[in-house]
Order: sequence, then structure tokens, then C-alpha cells
Amino acid sequence: MEELDTYINKVKTLPPAPRILPELLSLLGQDDTDSSRIVQLISFDPAITACVLRVCNSAYFAGALPADDLQEAITRLGFQQVYQLVAAVSGARLLIPAQKGYGINPGELWQHSVTAAVAAQLIAKSKGEDDSVVFTATLLHDIGKIVLAEALEHIYVKLIEENRSQQAALIETEKRVLGVQHAEIGGHLLARWNFPPSLVNAVWFHHDPGAAKEDRKIAAYVYLGNMIAYFMGFGYGHNAFALRGRADALDILDLKPEAVPDFMIQAFDNLQMVETLVKLNP
Amino acid sequence: MSPPSPSGFEHKVVVGIAELAVSNNPNVTLATYSLGSCLGIAIYDPVVKAGGLLHIMLPDSTVDSVKAAKHPAMFVDSGVPALFRATYQLRAEKHRMIISVAGGAQILDSGGFFNIGSRNYDALIGLLKDHGLRIDAQQVGGMVNRTMSLRLATGEVWLKTSGQSQEVILWKNSTLT
Repeated sequence: MEELDTYINKVKTLPPAPRILPELLSLLGQDDTDSSRIVQLISFDPAITACVLRVCNSAYFAGALPADDLQEAITRLGFQQVYQLVAAVSGARLLIPAQKGYGINPGELWQHSVTAAVAAQLIAKSKGEDDSVVFTATLLHDIGKIVLAEALEHIYVKLIEENRSQQAALIETEKRVLGVQHAEIGGHLLARWNFPPSLVNAVWFHHDPGAAKEDRKIAAYVYLGNMIAYFMGFGYGHNAFALRGRADALDILDLKPEAVPDFMIQAFDNLQMVETLVKLNP
Repeated sequence: MSPPSPSGFEHKVVVGIAELAVSNNPNVTLATYSLGSCLGIAIYDPVVKAGGLLHIMLPDSTVDSVKAAKHPAMFVDSGVPALFRATYQLRAEKHRMIISVAGGAQILDSGGFFNIGSRNYDALIGLLKDHGLRIDAQQVGGMVNRTMSLRLATGEVWLKTSGQSQEVILWKNSTLT
């Protein structure tokens, strides 16, 4: 743990915590949520509010009538959808910048994260699960990379070479070379930012969902969403596919391997949604 | 390196996921980005200088026949025949075709539960074999993302691998240079 804190504290340009997201998630988790509290909470951040309304009125979401304020947006799209937009705008702030140490171009990490989140959400929905937590966890699953990117900038070539020669997963090489890996750093950072423990664990174990114990289901959604994004070409970096196949991710969710192509097709059907979120400009 | 540009307006046509495009316009380059476990399949008839590029996502259209009818380029078994047929409209002929393939990346998965990339490739090999065709140039598998393009003027196929700044040539007609 101390080692994780050391790494996080060393980063010169750590982005600000997405403060309203953990609070919104806990509001959404309550049965009798008052929409005025949600509106009040989102309104604390005028930039997010403006961006959410803009997307809400974009070609993809716009109905017959434009939404002039958050209350109207919630009435029209529902809490879940408005929450998803707030999460996406918050995520975009964190993930759009290029991360040099991972060979990531500007926007690539963001595009990957959005595609993975939409895919994971589709799987969660098919199982009737709370897709807000799944969407957020998957959206932020690689947040640890923005912490490690700085440390990696100078030794990234070595990391890639080790990956290739050892046929190792990226997190295994990170652990060996740096002593920490991006999934645990990400989980720890999200815990510091007061995200719920289930989301923290899902991010922490997104490369090994079976190890997430009681949160293994959410971790498995994140794992599969992440993989589907890579399969469909929404990946990045040098050895994009340096991740291990975990058959238990399927078992945990009671899915067969044949479900993967099905969810890829569903994700393809939602690429317009992906594109709308990718283009967010917070 | 590349030959002098033919006169006229050079332009790039982007082939999206589950799409195909064909051309016999020497000013056109067909390109498809970030293949992941998908396959990029380029075919080119050097006699009539016509060809096409396909970006398939999955091996087998029987998983979703409705989808296959709407997006034949999504699957190997429906996309490859559609690609060949489209080039025949440009007077290309099957047995003159140069076939180049890229993509089909694979995660580290010894159990083979997530082997979409290799299943795409196996499906393609089987289909080509049934038609007496073989691949002339390929770079498939591995852990990398690839981007592929076909230049109609020369039939050259270029490849860019994620993380590498340089494009490399996958196929060129050495008798033409």
C-alpha cells in the first residue's frame, strides 16, 4: 500500500479527483433518490453541466424537444443516462490527454476506455445488473496508467522488449520492473478519491477478476469489456494484446465463450454511442 | 521509395470496421485502421489494376444471419466472397488476384477461450483453400494492433504496427520496379 501511495504522490501532474461521481453513484444506489438532489450535485460543476446538456441535445440523444436544464434532461433521458453522461465527461477530463510512457496518442486511451465501458455495460445489462457501477469502473479501469506513465517514460522501451521476449502480460512486466502495476495503482487512486469499494476492487482486479472475491462479477464485466475493446481495434500502445485470457471471467458471469462474438456485434451496433462520447470536449 | 505520384488528386478512402471498398482509380489508397483481432484482407489484380480492402470482425456469419445480410463485411464467410464479387465489377479476375492479410492479434490465452484472432485467420485459410487460392503476403497474430493500406496505382500493401512510427511494405510487385 505504501508503495502505491509513494507512486501516486510522486506524480507531478495528477488530475483533480472527479468529486461528484462517487456521491452520484451512492445517490443512484438509493431507492428513494430525489432528483433535485442529483441536479444540485451535478450543478456544483458548471462545466460538466454545460457539457452534459450539450451532449444531451446532440444528434445522437436529441428528441423532439431540447433540454434547457438538468431537470429536463433527467426527465427526458432518465437518471441512468444522465449519470452516464456525467461519468463520461468526468472520465474524458482524466483520460483524453496523451500518456507518453505507454505509447498512447492523444485520445487513444479515452477511445479505448469508452468502447470498453459501453461493451461492459451491454454485458451487465444482459444480466440485469447495476450498469452504472460497471460503466464507471470500466471507464476508469486504466486510470492507473496516467500515474505510471510518468515513471515509465524512460524505461518503456525496456518494458516492451521484456513483454515481447517473455510473452508476459503488461501488468506482470510492470510489477517486475516497477514493483507496482497499473491495475492496483488505479484501484488505490480510486479508493483515495472515495469511490465505492466494489468499484475499487473491480478496477484493482480487472486483469484477474477471480481474485476480486465478492466483487468478482463487476471485475469480470470490466475484464470482458476491456478485452472486447481491444479485439475490435480500440486499443493502443505497443503490445496492446499483452493480457492473459481468464476463462473464469466467463464462468463468473455464467457465459460461454461464444458469448464474446455476440457482445462484439452488440458493441458494433452501439458504435454511434461510443463515437458521441469519444467526441466529448469538456 | 514510392514511385512518382500519378497525375491527379491523390486521396485516401477509409474502410471502417465491418466494411469493404473496391477501386480501380490509381489515385486512390484504401486504408483500414487499428485491426485488433479483426483481419484486413487486401486483394489486387495487377493486370487491370483493380482491387479492394475488407475489414472483417468475426469468422462465421451463422452466429447472426440477420447481421450478415445487412453487414456482409463483418464476417469472413460472407465478407470475402462479397469483396471478390465487388472487384469482378471492375474486370478483376479471381486467379490473378494478389492476396495480402494483416491483423488477427491474439491475447495470451493458452486455453483458447478468447481466440477470435486465430479463428478469423483459420476461417480465411479454409475459405481460400476451398477456392484454390492462397495468401501472397501476411503479417498476422502476435500482440500488436495493425493498420493496413492498399495503393491502387501499384498494388502495394503497406502496414503500420501500433507503437512503431514507420510504415512498412507488406507486398509489392518486384517485377514492376
